[in-house]
Amino acid sequence: MKRVLVIGAGLTGLFAAAMAARRGAEVTLVTDGRGGLELSHGCIDLLTPPLSPETFGHLLPAHPYRRAGLERIREAMDLFREFLTEQGLTYFGSLEHNLALPSAAGGIRDTGLAPLAQATGALADAGTFHLASLAHFRDFSAAFAAQRLRQRGLPVGGVVELALPNLPPGRDLYATDLARLFDDREWREETIRSWRSPLTGIQRLGVPAVLGLTGAEAARTSAEEQLGVRLFEIPTLPPSVPGLRLERALRRTAQAAGAHLIEGAHATGLVEAASIGRVTGVVYVSAGGPRPQRAEAVILATGGALHGGLVFRSHGAVQESVFDLPVEHASERGGWTAESLFASQPYSRFGVIIGDDFRPVGPDGQPLFENLFAAGGLLGGCDRTAEGSRQGIDLVSAYCAVEEALT
Amino acid sequence: MSQPALTADLCLKCNICTAACPVAAATDLFLGPKAVGPQAQRYRHPSLPLPDRSLAWCSGCGTCSRVCPHGVAVAEINIQAKARLAHETGIPLRDQFISRPDLLGRLGTPLAPLANLALGLAPVRWMMQRVLRIHREAPMPAFRTRTFRSLQRGHLLPRPQPDPGIGVVRVAYFHGCGTNYYEPELGGMALEVLERLGCEVSVPPQGCCGLPLQSNGLLDGARAYACANIRALAPFARAGYPIVGTSTSCTLSLKHDYRTILGLDGADADVLAENTYDFFEFLTLRLDDRLAALSLHELPARALYHPPCQLKAHAVGTPALAVLRRIPGLIIELSDSECCGVAGTYGLKEEKYTVARRVGSGLFDQAADGRYDFLISDSETCRWWMAGHTGLPVLHPLEVLARALA
Amino acid sequence: MTSLSTQLLVLGGGATGLGIAWDACLRGLKVVLVEQGDIGQGTSGRYHGLLHSGGRYVVSDPVSARDCAAENAILRRLASHTIEDTGGFFAAAPGDPPAFADLWLEGCRHAGVPATEISATEACRREPLLNPRLQRVFAVQDASLDSFDLLHALVRAIRSAGGQVWLRHRVDGLLREGDRVSGAIVRPSGSTDTRTVHAEMVVNATGPWARETARLAGLDIPMALGKGAMVAMATRLVNTVVNRLKPPADGDIIVPVGTVAVLGTTDVPVDRPTDLHIDPWEIDLLLAEAEILIPDISHHRPLRAWAGIRPLFRPARAAGETRQMPRAHLILDHAAADGTPGMISVIGGKLTTYRLMAEQTMDEVCRQLHVQAACRTMDAPLERPADARYFTLPARLEALERAGRHQQQPEVICECESVTREQILHALESADTTDLDDVRRDLRLGMGPCQAGFCAYRAAALAESRAGAGSTWLEAFLEERWRGTRPLAWGTELRQMDLTRRIYLELMAVRPATEAP
Repeated sequence: MKRVLVIGAGLTGLFAAAMAARRGAEVTLVTDGRGGLELSHGCIDLLTPPLSPETFGHLLPAHPYRRAGLERIREAMDLFREFLTEQGLTYFGSLEHNLALPSAAGGIRDTGLAPLAQATGALADAGTFHLASLAHFRDFSAAFAAQRLRQRGLPVGGVVELALPNLPPGRDLYATDLARLFDDREWREETIRSWRSPLTGIQRLGVPAVLGLTGAEAARTSAEEQLGVRLFEIPTLPPSVPGLRLERALRRTAQAAGAHLIEGAHATGLVEAASIGRVTGVVYVSAGGPRPQRAEAVILATGGALHGGLVFRSHGAVQESVFDLPVEHASERGGWTAESLFASQPYSRFGVIIGDDFRPVGPDGQPLFENLFAAGGLLGGCDRTAEGSRQGIDLVSAYCAVEEALT
Repeated sequence: MSQPALTADLCLKCNICTAACPVAAATDLFLGPKAVGPQAQRYRHPSLPLPDRSLAWCSGCGTCSRVCPHGVAVAEINIQAKARLAHETGIPLRDQFISRPDLLGRLGTPLAPLANLALGLAPVRWMMQRVLRIHREAPMPAFRTRTFRSLQRGHLLPRPQPDPGIGVVRVAYFHGCGTNYYEPELGGMALEVLERLGCEVSVPPQGCCGLPLQSNGLLDGARAYACANIRALAPFARAGYPIVGTSTSCTLSLKHDYRTILGLDGADADVLAENTYDFFEFLTLRLDDRLAALSLHELPARALYHPPCQLKAHAVGTPALAVLRRIPGLIIELSDSECCGVAGTYGLKEEKYTVARRVGSGLFDQAADGRYDFLISDSETCRWWMAGHTGLPVLHPLEVLARALA
Repeated sequence: MTSLSTQLLVLGGGATGLGIAWDACLRGLKVVLVEQGDIGQGTSGRYHGLLHSGGRYVVSDPVSARDCAAENAILRRLASHTIEDTGGFFAAAPGDPPAFADLWLEGCRHAGVPATEISATEACRREPLLNPRLQRVFAVQDASLDSFDLLHALVRAIRSAGGQVWLRHRVDGLLREGDRVSGAIVRPSGSTDTRTVHAEMVVNATGPWARETARLAGLDIPMALGKGAMVAMATRLVNTVVNRLKPPADGDIIVPVGTVAVLGTTDVPVDRPTDLHIDPWEIDLLLAEAEILIPDISHHRPLRAWAGIRPLFRPARAAGETRQMPRAHLILDHAAADGTPGMISVIGGKLTTYRLMAEQTMDEVCRQLHVQAACRTMDAPLERPADARYFTLPARLEALERAGRHQQQPEVICECESVTREQILHALESADTTDLDDVRRDLRLGMGPCQAGFCAYRAAALAESRAGAGSTWLEAFLEERWRGTRPLAWGTELRQMDLTRRIYLELMAVRPATEAP
């Protein structure tokens, strides 16, 4: 069994660990903390405008999708959907068309794959829909979303505020709190009962994505049955429940396949002098001190700016945090951000440069280490927010890195 | 780094810790680790009373620090703030009592049969709840008539010996109060298994790790115990004895809490921290080849393994799982839960018991589905709590390994 | 086009203008005050929060020092709830000129600025992050003052005394009747309807705009504009104001204000009162200087950078850099200086001495208007919340605790700065609130570590009905927050900015205001 070390437990790392473990590798996943899934909508953004042979051809050759090829992009998506379906979460969508989904801020979000609970809210489906807020839940406002969706010409029939009877007294609610309440059958049924009359006459209703965490599909379908209304979910301000459902599902897949998870451990690269051109593993910081974790292949999935895979220093240096790999970046810190929040951001494009086999390369274009692979937000060359490709690149690059690592 | 409060700066308010916190999931009365940690820290003034009270619900399980991707020492901030809060509101007699398991052990051992009888009587437990506010249903372990140390006099070693240099792995075993007073046979198994793997095991002078004192806000008391342990054990560490323990909470204290929460710096504290290991961590790190050479008997059974919070806080993963999965016939499934709920002494307290139960309810439900012959967990307080609430035997992974080696 | 008459027209709603208007109300005059923006949008809302002990000026400007010491004590009585009694240190770092300490101490004695020497060990005991190798340290009576709270208190006081405060009104022109200035034409922002205000006296307290304002009457004031950059650190690193004990220079002060510590400041001559740009060297300088006082500062997170403009009177013959110009205020009577009665301009000064400036200005105004009325501001404390004495750091959190925040959902909207739904709805009711930035200045919404990453959505949702269809309050607020964090876009701050980007652009699919739907 090949010993594979994955560093980072975001979408990239979890998917890589699950895939490698299922393909028979002995996988250890070392991570400093949890990743950004909880901050995301739980969907797989592939590309906007959607991937087609044409848009694919327009991507720069250095783009991770180009390096992967359309075939492997498809395989990665299929494998992702397979894993999630096993865990009771069905994802819908295709490579060729994006789903247009309403957002909590009344925006229209293009995405490639969405969980069923969200996909049924696709705006291409004709007909009006209503939106509901939940009383005392500050992270989703139906009125706000509705007003702004109407500005965009969308058929929002109306807005309802739904009560939450039997709310335990206490702090302001996060989406996760509501989701856990919805997992409780008794509480859920009583709450749904109180919604029947305010929802009479409504056929399609968008609600904040809080209908259950561990028993999500069950909670939503039982609510639909009880109410006779088609429900779809809209992701809220973080902690985002759809993101957490996805994270949980992938973590379970990886661990059930035998991956060993070491959490709370910050890694620094280990390259022993005797092994030129090979990494031998990492040293990670555990409670008592550094510990070695050896491996035959290492997949670096530590993310970009947000989670510290890339460290941005005030004097203009941008460093890769584990192996100190070369990072393509602008060295003048004033040029890292654009004046407007909404513009494309230079810092988003910084990252580690890879070859077609997803190994980081040096200035000469040759792999720096024969057994080191990189994937996910760590990779440079594109602004994933601007082009709508964040989760797609995570999955596709993870897939390719694992394939390459296991050959 | 002994100033966790300074990491409050790194908090992005992302709520990853709040989403993972097992106590916040169980009660809305707790604002969550982010809120009482780095967020409230900005409002805390060294000379003014603490402005916030819901901090008291934090169980100290450490999940928050472990899942934070930005380096905020959330749990450590909370534990230090809780200690301040405890001093401001006053530390009840009960907490003084339950935070000294060595004292309780010394009192209870000579009276073991009587003490156990009494603790098994409902009226006595009712009285304890009324007077001491220890919940009457909180599972409690039984005292033994002899302590581990008295049973293993032959292994006691007052001072480290110089290294004989013949490649023998010498180990200093840290038993902790749990093993010494309540589970001496577990300690015996630890000695046997290590010796079977070719180690020379000794039991150095040691005292209570001090964690219960720390958890209950008695940081000065905890420091006194910590300094005593550092003084006693540092010489062993320097002489090349790894300090190996079977209680994940004790070993975490030695490795981490002494320096980071109690603020004890210095070469001795460092050498102790760097040479302390959890039992299975040590096995996989240093004795893996020898272990692989031994044959393991078949143990046909299905078990549910729950890694304790304190083990996860070691940041070494779950080494016991990898070892036990080599036992033929044994099917081990992994618990879905972050925390069983007891968090040391937290679940014993009258006012915390219900929340603690709710924290563990997911685990108890998973265990109750009827498929498991036994449960496995590395921490003694978790084992007693889980056994009490599921009715199933709960074993230390060492016990399972010992059976397979027998 | 409407018109009205009043006795006193005050132009400018910073501390100077508001202080003058309040003083005037207490003397029984009819007052109208116009301010071009929102409360605190000018220099008074952009300063570092220091209530001067005077120590800063004892050597370079003893008159200012004396005034500061006296007014410090007075403001503690009049506006205690806006002041946190932090105390201050003047500390000489290794390498600072040792002789200066004695010179300084002597200056304190002469100016009546209380100063007590303490050991460096004691200073570090009180403030654990301070450089352990400080040479000499003196304790003074610096304090920190929340200028927004102060300005709001003054506005409330003026309005309840019958004075008028018009926000978001620009001065389009000044009226002349022969030689004299007789009033002004003002216009609300975004409107074409003007209002004419006839006044017996016009006070020009427009700060950095004083010269432009005077020009509307054909007058000139020799002024220099000194722009100063400041950086707020995400947490309070110190609970005491810390000053460098050396001649005043850039970056020599750290002020704890509420939940942050402000590093100040630079001094860059600029030409226009709207020039608030910040250069990377200014940030680097502030952090480098602060590092001398707090060696571990690079482990801490700079949160936000902003600039304010000092309006300084530049007498005819002075030249050179603005830092050496006297900070003492100037009350310029245009009747005497230019033969143009009816207008007095007030230039310069510090927020700490606003009350004194107002008193002196109003003494002159009353003299010219033949009004016999003495200053009463010393005996009229500004209205404050019932149980407030000095401001204390835990105050907001304590208020939430008292309200039982963990017993019933209180709907805290801005978690970083403890701002509730109720407070925001109340602020939205006011006609003076025209966007979320106004709410921010009132309540500190979005001024914490996440820089509105979470509360922008929540607050925009609450404001939905007030903002109206097609509004871009959310987009504008996010852009404004982004602007002030850009100069610090590295390390943790860049992570925070990326998080905001992910939430609003990906999860929420918010588009720029300019983009067609």
